[in-house]
Amino acid sequence: MTLDRTATIIFVALFLFVTWLGFVAARWRKADLNLLHEWGLGGRRFGTMVTWFLLGGDLYTAYTFIAVPALVFGKGAMGFFAVPYTILIYPLLYMVFPRLWAIAHQRGHVTAADYVRDRFGSRMLALAFALTGIVATMPYIALQLVGMEVVIGALGFPAEGFVGHLPLIIAFIILAAFTYTSGLRAPALIAIVKDTLIFVTVFAAVVIIPAKLGGYGAIFASVPKEKLLLVPPSGESLGAYSSYATLALGSALALFLYPHAMTGILSASSGSVIRRNAALLAVYSFILGLIALLGYMAIAAGVDTDPAYAAGFARYGPNFAVPALFLASFPSWFVGIAFAAIAIGALVPAAIMSIACANLFTRNLYKEFIRPDCSDADEARMAKIVSLVVKIGAVVFILAIPQAYAIQLQLLGGIWIIQLLPPILLGLYTRSFNARALLIGWAAGTAVGTYMAATQGFVSSLYPLEIFGVTLPGYAALYSVVINFLLAAALSPPLDLMARRRAASTAP
Amino acid sequence: MTREKTRNWLRYWPRLLFIIPFIAMLWVPSYNRIEPVLGGIPFFYWYQLGWILLGAAIVLLVHMIETRITQVTESSRKGLEVTDVPGDIL
Repeated sequence: MTLDRTATIIFVALFLFVTWLGFVAARWRKADLNLLHEWGLGGRRFGTMVTWFLLGGDLYTAYTFIAVPALVFGKGAMGFFAVPYTILIYPLLYMVFPRLWAIAHQRGHVTAADYVRDRFGSRMLALAFALTGIVATMPYIALQLVGMEVVIGALGFPAEGFVGHLPLIIAFIILAAFTYTSGLRAPALIAIVKDTLIFVTVFAAVVIIPAKLGGYGAIFASVPKEKLLLVPPSGESLGAYSSYATLALGSALALFLYPHAMTGILSASSGSVIRRNAALLAVYSFILGLIALLGYMAIAAGVDTDPAYAAGFARYGPNFAVPALFLASFPSWFVGIAFAAIAIGALVPAAIMSIACANLFTRNLYKEFIRPDCSDADEARMAKIVSLVVKIGAVVFILAIPQAYAIQLQLLGGIWIIQLLPPILLGLYTRSFNARALLIGWAAGTAVGTYMAATQGFVSSLYPLEIFGVTLPGYAALYSVVINFLLAAALSPPLDLMARRRAASTAP
Repeated sequence: MTREKTRNWLRYWPRLLFIIPFIAMLWVPSYNRIEPVLGGIPFFYWYQLGWILLGAAIVLLVHMIETRITQVTESSRKGLEVTDVPGDIL
């Protein structure tokens, strides 16, 4: 591939613009950035609009824009589970998180681990939360780089060796620098630009591309029949039906447990802001649904058989479907805008994720176990440094380790993060659960979920569960969190009783 | 005290509406078909895309009903929401 000059110039120009914006953000709603809640939560002052952009930029990542259509392109209807998934998110967001926000606001929590530490009085449970959050988020950051790498490669940059990695490394140095200086204010401000570019790109894509391909009828007609629908159950297995439903439900339950989602929620200025966003975020879901259809447009356009893109597909696999479709359908200048949208779409979540990891490390590991007496300024400084370390880690991760591992780890991350659901959910309404029981539930859920993924060779998170002779292939995260919850509920009364007896026997 | 608690729980009745999108989306066989096609798009796809809008409408409806109720009985809100600064837009 040769370098597309027009597209590259526009791409670089937009990138420079958001870099400038990232640094300027430090002065937006000026406050003392040497306080963790100012640097890491934007002072909890984001209103409905900013929260909307921030959560949208946070949850609908570059990886989503590349991977969801790639899944639809490769696997057909099954990849569309992202749509019911986003539909189920909003009732959950509406019901659970305003309450969590209120508690966190009143008690000064910055992370989910802070919250369980306070609710259940257990340092160990908080430690489990912090570790799970960090471990589940790291590969997610690395995958944002994959999205960026694909579009940089599609622009025609040489992809081999150190020179090939250079654009990515430069982009991440910029990202690290403005996150360090501006904290959460930077991605919040950049998210506004990013989403504007994404909206423009997607609307252009769903209007222009079908017009070129002869309408939606022609697009769907060119998709192989077996891809268009889920395979109906046969024999003793519910097959694709239970997979589809559990993937949607499990992913929806897991999403807001991710540290970066939690950071986005806690930075809102009130519970009502979150409630309003539960309805308003549907705009992004609709965009995501349209983006998923790009996978079929790529099939209809026949980009995978076009020799011009053979090298790209050989290198990036189905992830190259959307970049190839854009290259084939748009003039160069618009390709620049579209690719910039995807690359900037990687910056925003990567920044928020690294901030969330930094918050977790500083609050729940450093301050809790290493230096309990550190000052507020020390705490904020530590978080800034950790946010740098996390990003360097992600770059090393993606350059040194085969991409397949990052994807497998991200898949495991979903299984691990959902194990935080019982303590968070139960903590909102009752303190009557025993912290040890919750910890045992967490450990068992994590172990069982990991085992289920291991039986699939870590390539699929769908586990064929057998109940009464019927096979229910489904999302391992959902199955394992049920075990987690049942164990926590069953063990709470006996462990409480034991604790009370011990207290009684040691009392004088 | 218990009576007050019951009233608080009753205040949440609109949230029962949230069961609808869950049933609709998790009942996969109800929409795993091609016909009827709409503007060239098979049912499976336009139905789920349509549900994004319906789901948002349900959330909005619940929000509206709940704000009405809380405006009437502001006292019932205390204790449920510790602070509720009206969200400034931007």
